[in-house]
Amino acid sequence: MTEFLESVLRGLGNGAIYALLALGFVIIYKSSGAISFAQPALMMTGAVISSYIAPALGAALVGAVAFFVSVTAAALVTALVAMAIERLAIRPMIGRAAFTIAIITIGIDIAVRVITSGFIGLGARPVPNPWGLERTEILGLRIQERHLVALGILALVVLLLVLFFRYTRHGLAMRATAFDQEAAMTQGISVGAVFSMSWAIAGALAAVAGTLLATSAGVDRQIWIVALVALPAIILGGLDSLAGAVIGGLAVGVVESLVGSYQGQWAPWLGNNFQVVAPYVLMFVVLLVRPYGLFGTPEVRRV
Amino acid sequence: MKLIKFGVALVAVSLVAAGCRGGGDDGGSEAVDAPGVSDEPCPTPVNDGNGCIYLGSISDLTQGPFAALGVPIVDAQKAFWQRVNDDGGIGGYDIDVSTYVKDNLYNPQTHQQVYGEISGDVLALAQTLGSPTTLAILPDMESDEMIGAPASWTSLWAFEDVILESGANYCVEGMNSVDYAVENMDVGSVMAVGFPGDYGGDGAAGAEIASDGHGLEFSSVETEPGQENQGGAISSIVREKPDLVLLGVGPTETAVIVGQAASQGYQGRFIGLSPTWNPALLETPSAPALEAMYMQSGPWGPWPTETDGHAAMREAVGQVDQPNDGYTAGWVWSYPLKAALEEWLEGDYDKTRAGLLEAVQALETVDYEGVLPEDAGNFADDQPVFTQTLLSSVDPKAPTGVVVEEDFFEGETAAGYDFTGACFEG
Repeated sequence: MTEFLESVLRGLGNGAIYALLALGFVIIYKSSGAISFAQPALMMTGAVISSYIAPALGAALVGAVAFFVSVTAAALVTALVAMAIERLAIRPMIGRAAFTIAIITIGIDIAVRVITSGFIGLGARPVPNPWGLERTEILGLRIQERHLVALGILALVVLLLVLFFRYTRHGLAMRATAFDQEAAMTQGISVGAVFSMSWAIAGALAAVAGTLLATSAGVDRQIWIVALVALPAIILGGLDSLAGAVIGGLAVGVVESLVGSYQGQWAPWLGNNFQVVAPYVLMFVVLLVRPYGLFGTPEVRRV
Repeated sequence: MKLIKFGVALVAVSLVAAGCRGGGDDGGSEAVDAPGVSDEPCPTPVNDGNGCIYLGSISDLTQGPFAALGVPIVDAQKAFWQRVNDDGGIGGYDIDVSTYVKDNLYNPQTHQQVYGEISGDVLALAQTLGSPTTLAILPDMESDEMIGAPASWTSLWAFEDVILESGANYCVEGMNSVDYAVENMDVGSVMAVGFPGDYGGDGAAGAEIASDGHGLEFSSVETEPGQENQGGAISSIVREKPDLVLLGVGPTETAVIVGQAASQGYQGRFIGLSPTWNPALLETPSAPALEAMYMQSGPWGPWPTETDGHAAMREAVGQVDQPNDGYTAGWVWSYPLKAALEEWLEGDYDKTRAGLLEAVQALETVDYEGVLPEDAGNFADDQPVFTQTLLSSVDPKAPTGVVVEEDFFEGETAAGYDFTGACFEG
């Protein structure tokens, strides 16, 4: 039982990173109706920025403070990068089909990744942090400290997003735009500014996720692939649901971890790497029962 | 009569003019008639009067998983051939490896496409990176009679005439690693953890052959690339507790597997095939576990090794941000191609690609300037597999983070094994 619970905790730690990424996907989808495939590149960019800032701060600040300052700075810089991308490449496409915008984001993703890779160099760039692979014991269960940090950051981010969407003018504007763009425009809301804000938030979340991911083995040129795991998370959670993104991300992390821990023992006939496809199997099962995901809004069209 | 005299004079002048053209004046008497060979100087000529031989490179330069290796390999090969040019070139030709450098994205389709783009413009391939990618162009290389230096160590290359491999392959590394562990680590069980395909598969096949020979318990786990995909492999290691784990993965996966397995209580040993290591791993949280539990297998000595070849490489490559054995590999893989070009241009061969291939098959030794024994470059023998490898241990003070623990050795498994085909036939 201990092994099972420890596996669940590991899954929740990784799932927190998927959830942060999934939140970014959902925020852009809600505002613009398009999925942004540039999230992997923004995640990589944020992690690379952290890998430069954290060591520079390390000499002046103690470990944890340097880490959190570098995460914050990376989130801000990546948000600016995301805003610039939105303004230059996405805004002119407003009014085009969501599919067209999605394809453009694939191109952006590749271009940004190629540029960012140039800053990584030949090996992996470490992101110094005080936790490393250290483990701590809670109620007799051993869990990596970096997983606890990831879960704590996810909780903080969710709280900040709730406060932002509920109590700030920009948050309300984003909710109104997500509900009905034309109605929002008639109320004087700048839809362009909302798009920009959504990209900024998604970029910042991707940077935080990338930095957390890099605490294990650093940032390498392939780290972006992890962001793709967030796709089944947002589909099973519901494309337009922030709660669904969080639950979906955590669920994917837990399923991945449990399958990785037990499948070789209990179902070896599934092959060696079934944990890689497990999130998609989970997504498929959920969609069979709830076609719009766990928390997605059923689409109703008048015919 | 005047007309006859004029004709004779014209022929004589033509012959003299042909003899004075760049190339072909040092060795073989025949004019060179092969793609990628020009009497015109190279775009950046080094020796006045020399023609130009163009070599192509197809490498992983931007987005693929081995870009961290592909970039230094290309840089080292440019430095290698610049040194050759600085020494006068080969047979009246300078060598150009800069004009036709293509990115394969580590994708077989892309590899095949860019090969088609350059195959008519180059004499040979200074580099074709990756095993699945090179396999995708192998039929074309054979029909084009295009020789190439691989940037991979799969055992299949020993049986392909157009491939000029250097050093021991992954299969031999697997065999020798297990043999070493049996002698020095008292192991009773071995687990091979590797990527699907001929990299992880070839190493695992060698480890299995050696394990069977020693009567060891053997298991094999395939794992996909990516940090987040290592959970299954880590769980298998922690659960089964093999005495030795042979890794056939990338550097990042090595850090995750070794670090996380140690963190979850595994106390055995790891030996990684040559591409598993990168000195940057010593800056990850896995560094203590790597120092305590990991050794790196390799086909030749790392960057700081004291041989003439290594010294020449360090001097030619110059100051680099981070010494990396991608440079070493790119440098070493260039020696057989240089030997083949010398043999071809200076010997009595058709001055065509077919003649160059014939020259390769006449090579019984290659001068690796001490990096490898000369008989490692035997392309004439029917049994050309080179079976000596090295093992290095982690040392954070070393330039590439590893120091040689066991110099060139041949384990009893590899010594007694009859190599009649690729170890891995996936």
